[in-house]
Amino acid sequence: MTDTAQARPSRKAATQPRPTQRRRIHWRDIGANWLAFTVIAILALPAVWIILTAFRPNLEVNASPPIWIPQVLTLDAFESLFGLNPETASGVPVMSYLSNSLTVALLATGLSVPIGTAAGYAFSRFDFVGSRALLLLLLLTRAVPGVALSLPLFLLMRNIGLIDTVHGLAFVYMALNIPFTAWLMDGFFRRIPRELDDAAYVDGASHWQTFWKIDLPLALPGLGAASVFAFLAAWNEYQIASIITKTPASKTFPVGLSDFTTQFTVDWRGMAAMSVLMMIPAILFVLAMQRSLTKGLTFGAVKG
Amino acid sequence: MRDSKSMSRRLALPMAAALAVTALGAGTALAQDEPAYAGLDMDLSGTTIKMAAIGGGNYEAMYDSISMFEEETGADVEIVFLGDGFEIDRYLKTNYAAGTVDFDVAWNHTSFMSQFTNFVEPLQDYFTEEELAAFSPSIIDAATIDGNLQLIPRHADISALYYRTDLYGDEALQAAFEEQYGYPLEVPTTLDQIYEHSEFFVGEGAILYGTEFAGQEEAVAGRFYELLFANGGDYFDADLSPIFDSEAGIASAQWMRDLYANGLVPPDTPNLLWDGVAANWCNGDVAVYLEWYGWYGYFQDPESCPEVAGNFGMARGPVGMDAETHTGWAGAHAFSVAKDSENKEAAVQLVKFLTSEAVSFDESNTFGFLPVRSDVSERVVAANADTGNPLDAERWELANLQVSEDFRTPPLFADWISFTNEWYPTLQSIILGDVSVEDGLAKGVADAADLLDSLGY
Amino acid sequence: MTTQAARLSGPPPEPGRESFVTRLRRRNWFPYLMTVPAVIVVVAVVIYPMAYSLFVSFTPFHLLRPDTTSQFVVDNMFDNYARLARDDVFWRALWNTILFMVVTVNTSVLIGFGLAMMLARMTFAMGPVRVLLMIPMMFAPVLIGFQFAWFFNATVGLVNNALLTLGFISEPVAWLVDEPSGMISLMLASIWMTVPVVTIVLLAGRLSLSDELYDAASVDGASVYQRMRHITLPQMRPFFVIVMVLLSLDIARAYDIVRIMTDGGPAHRTELIWTYAGQLAIRGSQFGLASAMSMTGVVLGVVFTFILFRQMMGLRKDMG
Repeated sequence: MTDTAQARPSRKAATQPRPTQRRRIHWRDIGANWLAFTVIAILALPAVWIILTAFRPNLEVNASPPIWIPQVLTLDAFESLFGLNPETASGVPVMSYLSNSLTVALLATGLSVPIGTAAGYAFSRFDFVGSRALLLLLLLTRAVPGVALSLPLFLLMRNIGLIDTVHGLAFVYMALNIPFTAWLMDGFFRRIPRELDDAAYVDGASHWQTFWKIDLPLALPGLGAASVFAFLAAWNEYQIASIITKTPASKTFPVGLSDFTTQFTVDWRGMAAMSVLMMIPAILFVLAMQRSLTKGLTFGAVKG
Repeated sequence: MRDSKSMSRRLALPMAAALAVTALGAGTALAQDEPAYAGLDMDLSGTTIKMAAIGGGNYEAMYDSISMFEEETGADVEIVFLGDGFEIDRYLKTNYAAGTVDFDVAWNHTSFMSQFTNFVEPLQDYFTEEELAAFSPSIIDAATIDGNLQLIPRHADISALYYRTDLYGDEALQAAFEEQYGYPLEVPTTLDQIYEHSEFFVGEGAILYGTEFAGQEEAVAGRFYELLFANGGDYFDADLSPIFDSEAGIASAQWMRDLYANGLVPPDTPNLLWDGVAANWCNGDVAVYLEWYGWYGYFQDPESCPEVAGNFGMARGPVGMDAETHTGWAGAHAFSVAKDSENKEAAVQLVKFLTSEAVSFDESNTFGFLPVRSDVSERVVAANADTGNPLDAERWELANLQVSEDFRTPPLFADWISFTNEWYPTLQSIILGDVSVEDGLAKGVADAADLLDSLGY
Repeated sequence: MTTQAARLSGPPPEPGRESFVTRLRRRNWFPYLMTVPAVIVVVAVVIYPMAYSLFVSFTPFHLLRPDTTSQFVVDNMFDNYARLARDDVFWRALWNTILFMVVTVNTSVLIGFGLAMMLARMTFAMGPVRVLLMIPMMFAPVLIGFQFAWFFNATVGLVNNALLTLGFISEPVAWLVDEPSGMISLMLASIWMTVPVVTIVLLAGRLSLSDELYDAASVDGASVYQRMRHITLPQMRPFFVIVMVLLSLDIARAYDIVRIMTDGGPAHRTELIWTYAGQLAIRGSQFGLASAMSMTGVVLGVVFTFILFRQMMGLRKDMG
């Protein structure tokens, strides 16, 4: 993809509309619009259902045959969640889960992005001994899913004493996010012309200064995208969290979801309510990074 | 949680009261109005007792009473793990295996206890005979392995027969049934009757499914076990050789398979777990089935289950080919003391407290868990005598009967869960009709023998 | 002296001897220093446990019998693997896993591509649409598993209810039980979770393509098909590679969904390597055997990633 990127992509260029000639509105366009709407509606349906479930009375939630159009909307589920309704208090320590999840996700993101970016820069600019092998190794670690890792990891963490701690979990997530970040930033840095680096070297800058002052600022969208993925991955991960956390001292939201399942029942409404809560920080984060996300994922080829 | 300043002075009066109450309580339960506490008579100030407990749902409310224990004894109780049944099983397994036991009191369960025999402290010497007599003898017996008492039970559950009174009481249906089958339509007492009733109700279009059962994991293995022993058979003999390809086994498997093949149970039965079958019953789609007592409160709540609230009865489990043995798959949640604990005496006190009459009564009465103490059982019956629904009190009596006579734990060996994990998919393929009953059972038995062999039995 | 060389090794060596230490000092340590933290962390958290898991796969390790780890005897080292090879269910799970991964990835990409092409024609509301698309990504896979299991429930599920009401079927379908609807239901849930990411990336890619090529093509009278084949697809290739890398993330997330919806059942019909291993490990405590299975699954994933890697290396070169 050989786009001619500018030295500093001007903001003006980013917000200019695509240069198009006036296109006739073809029937195909209208048809495509409708088709797209339909597909998106179908895609959104399960999500809408889940969110709605959080606002409906238990009777409707468990009804058979299912009630499609909600008759009654209520905030009962949320009241129970926060223990505001003594009768049906679910006793779920929501605030603990929230604070744990936030801490773990932010820590993991905050640590994995710099480390991954540093590695990515090294891979992109320097052809050093073992760089290909190293990158391959890092990427291969992504072939290992949490379930394969969880028990050996547990035994390891136990020896160090990091079980049931927020830092322990954040450390693991950090490690799991680094490879993707490195790969993403590697691609991103490659799009930044080397001439900029060379100019800096000529001026007497060290490698580090070049990295810090020249390349990194240009790579911000990439950092944005990497952050979003790191955050979401940590936010929604279940397998490893369920093994490493024991009590509300460190339990995160996904593990807390299973609070709504006893050996015998599933409290759909409670689960849906907590999921709605879980989604809010995630959505906020993604919205904030939205532009960076698309730019970053496509290595700056796209103007967001 | 404790005020160390005036501990001894603060303790004196409540301790005396507690002692008095305990003294009075012993053997004279009926004479008092207040149920008795236990385990409060030792001074434990300065001790920290750690507990790994089961959580989720209604299991946690009982732990609130621990603050009383802490106040009375001066101990500090710390819950180091709280998780649902699977989670705590996994937690205990991994910690026992790794030798990193950092708790004194641990959850246990009659279905899981065989895994933990090497890791729990035998309790028979910490209790007097009188104290032990308060608990259901069948459970204490079941929990004594090689002479060692593994646990003290907290509450139990046993499967009972739930049936729809509107269907069984409908005169038109009764007449039609007698005509077709030649005997009156009454609450079923045998497995064959359950089959025929299901066939009838579905055939008449009176209900969607005649009966149902949870068709996966330990749930189906346990249900099959129930049928097995009601039919006079068993999974294993005394030498742990698998014997469930017997006539009893064939009859049990055939029963499940025929029900499924003829559409008398939900079509996704092999994917149903406990919540699935409860939902179907709650929606009024099932005529009669075996289910745990624990669901009673939920089913009787008109806000949760308007179709069946006030519309069902309960009965003792049916018998099978063996006319003497009723179904009665049961389990009891319990407490144990870890062998590696450094505060065993203190831990035992906590266990005594949590299984005392007062705490047990509170839990059973509030949440419907089945009592494992006869004194609690009597109290609960009395407490529910005037609710307006006679079933509320009757079920306690029924429960008492079942717990004392029909209580049956799954086979007691450490790898029960391993076995069920391997067996249940084969059982599912029998139910689904992928293999014949004989072939499926033969495979199940062969696999089980292999598994037990490789595990060193 | 080219800047490239300068970056690598500093000023050129003087002719003649120089000590090892001098050479060491002259070597450019910067890239190594930059990658060392990443390597340390990843080795500690992933490589080391995996090595341990590999070791355990050669032992009859049983969780409740800790002494079994020391029963590492060279003679029956491959016992666990031999048992796997003899196990029908293992092969079935392996086949199911490959099928699952291939179908899910390809279908997600196809649907995502189609959706992206359609959305690219849309003339408005791009921002909100994008946010809407991201919503399925925000749900925890565990929740998706529970909810979809409920959707596919034969008696109270939405799917059967809709199909029955609309008259497409006359009897409830036991989605999670019958074959092949079991695997299909799992794949549908996984695809639902994956399509949004694919669409967003491909949409962004499509929008970045300049119109000049298309205009030139329509002047030349190229058909829709020709445009697609000769302009769109080749230009989008790098974006497809990006998508594939992203999707390799989803192995772990897909496992959560499957575990909750069917856990490989019933009767092993939807068994995947991961569900089988999971059951053996925790529930069955046969950790040695489960590790062997894990290793097989990891090898599978590694092969996938390796194939992808070559594509990715090509892409890197294109970009500079």
